This record gives sequence, structure tokens and C-alpha cells, in this order.
Amino acid sequence: MITVKDLVFSYTEKPFIETMNFSVRDGEIFGFLGPSGAGKSTLQKLLTGLLPRYGGSVTVDGTEAKRAGKEFYQNIGVDFEFPSLYEKLTGRENLRFFASLYRRHRDIDALLKAIGLHMDADKKVSEYSKGMKSRLNFIKALLHSPKLLFLDEPTNGLDPSNARVMKDMILQEKAEGKTVILTTHNMYDATELCDHVSFIVDGAIAALDTPKALMTKKRAVQLTYTFESPDGGLEERSVPLTQTGGDATLRQLIGDGKLASIHSAEPTLNDVFVEITGRRLQ
Amino acid sequence: MRTKALILSDIRFQFRYGFYSLYAVFTLLYIGLLFVLPDAWRNDAAAIMIFTDPAAMGLFFMGAIVLFEKNERVLDSIAVSPVGAWEYVLSKLVSIGLISALVALLIGLGAGVIRAPLTFLVSVFLCSCLFSAMGLIVACKIKTLNQFIVATVPLELLTVVPAILWMFWWKADVLVLHPGVSMLMACSGRGAQPLALLSLLAWTALLYFLAVKTVKKMLLSVGGIKL
Repeated sequence: MITVKDLVFSYTEKPFIETMNFSVRDGEIFGFLGPSGAGKSTLQKLLTGLLPRYGGSVTVDGTEAKRAGKEFYQNIGVDFEFPSLYEKLTGRENLRFFASLYRRHRDIDALLKAIGLHMDADKKVSEYSKGMKSRLNFIKALLHSPKLLFLDEPTNGLDPSNARVMKDMILQEKAEGKTVILTTHNMYDATELCDHVSFIVDGAIAALDTPKALMTKKRAVQLTYTFESPDGGLEERSVPLTQTGGDATLRQLIGDGKLASIHSAEPTLNDVFVEITGRRLQ
Repeated sequence: MRTKALILSDIRFQFRYGFYSLYAVFTLLYIGLLFVLPDAWRNDAAAIMIFTDPAAMGLFFMGAIVLFEKNERVLDSIAVSPVGAWEYVLSKLVSIGLISALVALLIGLGAGVIRAPLTFLVSVFLCSCLFSAMGLIVACKIKTLNQFIVATVPLELLTVVPAILWMFWWKADVLVLHPGVSMLMACSGRGAQPLALLSLLAWTALLYFLAVKTVKKMLLSVGGIKL
């Protein structure tokens, strides 16, 4: 669906994105993960044809992004980070208007119901809360059933239950064969939703793999156990899961039945991000 | 189909923002004012009123219309939709042109000064499109309403002053080539009519193409670069 070769881009004289390469397969959810200002939104703008002055090649659904025409935009949907809605119109009127710009569109009432806005569809958008605007903005991007969906921090500002509904809808899009580009700094969303994630730092890809592979390759799963120390307090120790056999203290404690607690912990995507890039996501 | 949807949406938007209510009041005020004036003045006064207000409303309001869209980030979604810059401009010009023509028709009929209704409507519509295109070009480049007002004052003066001079004092034929003069000639039905309409049409087409070019740049600047 997307092939990026030797991409070079800058807003100023100073290079921002230098020789970037990656590809996204049809029907997958691909995440750009990185801190604010890393270049995630710039990449989204490059892929959606909004930044035509780049070097290298950016092919999206068979079209070079800098030559994107009307047909290109029939097949992509973009959920921007900030709501992009007419405040004086109602939620339903906004959807009707944006639907009228495309050749085909889905049932508006069904989308409103799916995202939980059917009861507020006839309220003006200016009366919506931040979360309601985000949800309306999200279904606006799905309206014309695009083959490729760009979602920029879609769950930002949503309560957990509405974030859950949105994530289920994203997974449903994937199940229907749509390709999704998810731009986020939320490691939990990326871990749960993405088939592949790419760590973006300072306009470059620092790592690219499946979330599972990134979490297991870079840092071993740790086993943490606690026991009563000689001074009467609780002492905690950690050992890589693969080296538990060599931990004499652990063997002794198990043998004596004196373990106070024991659990294993996989590193989070955030841990791996910090380890690879030296930066924090959140 | 998409262009029609855009025009209808712009009309709805202008209705919601009170343009129609505002001009309903203005229309009554203008008609009342025309009846207060002496009969001999009525034709010229009506032509100047129509030329400087309903026909020019795009120059006054385009700043607010585009700024609303910029502030509400609607242009982001337009930029990644199949809407072309030409459709966006056409929709803005036609939607404002329709209110202009309606208001001008009511003022003209109310004051009893319209002799050739079709020519009058076409003239006002083209004037409105020309003023709106000017307003749109300025609106694409500004960030605040104050900037818009400051930037449009010279345009208003350059367009309106020669037209007023032509109407009352300076009757040089060559002035038909001036956009403001051609507009006032066409709206008032005075002067070299076919030539005035032709000049007005040429200016409107030129400003339309310039507006399309400016809107293209504005939509690309959504990406964050200045072209």
C-alpha cells in the first residue's frame, strides 16, 4: 500500500527527514510512535500529499504522493489530531457535508450510533465536548469508506470506554481489509492495535518491527521476587527469565519456601523506546 | 454534484452566520433611504448603493468566512478531499453572488429603478463575484480580521473612487476598462453597455483564476510550508 524510498524532506534549510525507507502492506495497522516534534505528523502530511516538495519517492496506493489528484483523495481518510469541523453546524450536518464531497459514503446514522453520538447528532458542534469532537472527527474520516486511513492521535482526550469503542472500530476497519496508519505517542494503543510500529525520533526511524518482537528482542523478560531480608524487611531482586536457573538465592528461597512474592514482567513498548532512543514517549 | 454540495453548504453556512438576516434589515433600510431622496437622485443613488454594498459584500465578508474555516481547521479536511481549488472558489463566489443578486433585485424593484432585469441581475452577480474574488485572495493571506480590513481598504478605494468619479464628473470612454467603472456602468445601465459587461466579465475571469491560484497555495500551506 505504501512504499517510501530514500525520502528526504525539510521545512527549512536544515534537513529534517533524511533518507527514510519503509513500506506498509495492504490491510495492516502501521504505527508511527514517537515524542512530540519527532516528525510523525510531518510523515503523515508527506503521505497524504500535503507536502509535495520532498526528495526520494513516496508511493501511496500506486500514486506518487506529490502528484496526488482527486482520485487519490477518494481513497484516503484522514483524522487530524485536532477537530476539523464546522462549529455552527450540527454533527449530522457536518457528516452530510463531508459525505457529499465523495463519490460514495457509508450510512451516517450507523456511524453516529457506532461511535455513540446518535443522541447528540443534531446538536451544534460548538456544544460538543472535546471528546465528542474527537469522536465525530474520527467517523468523518471513515465516512467514504477509504482504503487507507490516517489517524493522528485518535484516542487523545477520550475516556477509557470511548477509547475502547474507537479502538474496536479501528480493528473492524482492519478486519474489512483497510490499511491504517496510526500516528501516536500512546504506547498502549500502539501495542494493542499495530501490526508494525516504527519509532520516529528527530525525523529518522530508530526501529521498525512488530510490537511483540520489539518488546522481546531488545530486553529480556524479567522475573522479580521478594523475600524477607536478615534485617526483617522485604528485599526485592530481579533476574532475566532466561537466567533464573543460575540465581542461587532464588533456588534457595524456592527450596526453603521463603519467597514472599514472585512475578514476571515483559518490558513495555515505552521501556523499549527508552532503551533504543534514550527518549521518553510520554 | 460536488460543486452543488459545496455551494449549498456555503449558503447554509452564511445563513447560520446571519448574513441573510443582516441583509434583510439592510435591504429595508436602503429602500427606505431611497424613498427619502428626491426622485431625480434615485437612479444614481440606487446604483451606487448596490455597487458599494450588496455587490461588494464579498469584499467585506470573505475575510470572516475564510477565517472561520481557518480557525475551525476545516481547510485541513478540504485539502485532503477531492475538492479542487477551482470548486472551492466557485462555491464561495456563487454563494455570495446569489445573496448579492437577491438583495440588489429587492432594492432595485423596491425603488423602481430596474429597466432590464436580466442584464441587471447578471451585472450584479458578476460584480459580486469580482469583489468576492478580491476578498478571497486577501483572505487567503491573512491571519486576523484586522489584517483583512487593513488590506482591503486600498482595494476598495482603487475600485470605488474611479467609478464614482466616472459617474459624476469624468466620462472618459477608456474608463470602461477599469474594473470598478465597468461594474458601476453595468449595474446602473449607463455608459457603453455591451463593452462594460465584456470588461466586467474579463476582470471577473482574471480575478477568479488568481483566486484559484491563491487558494491552491493556501490549501498546500495546510501542510505547513509557504510556497
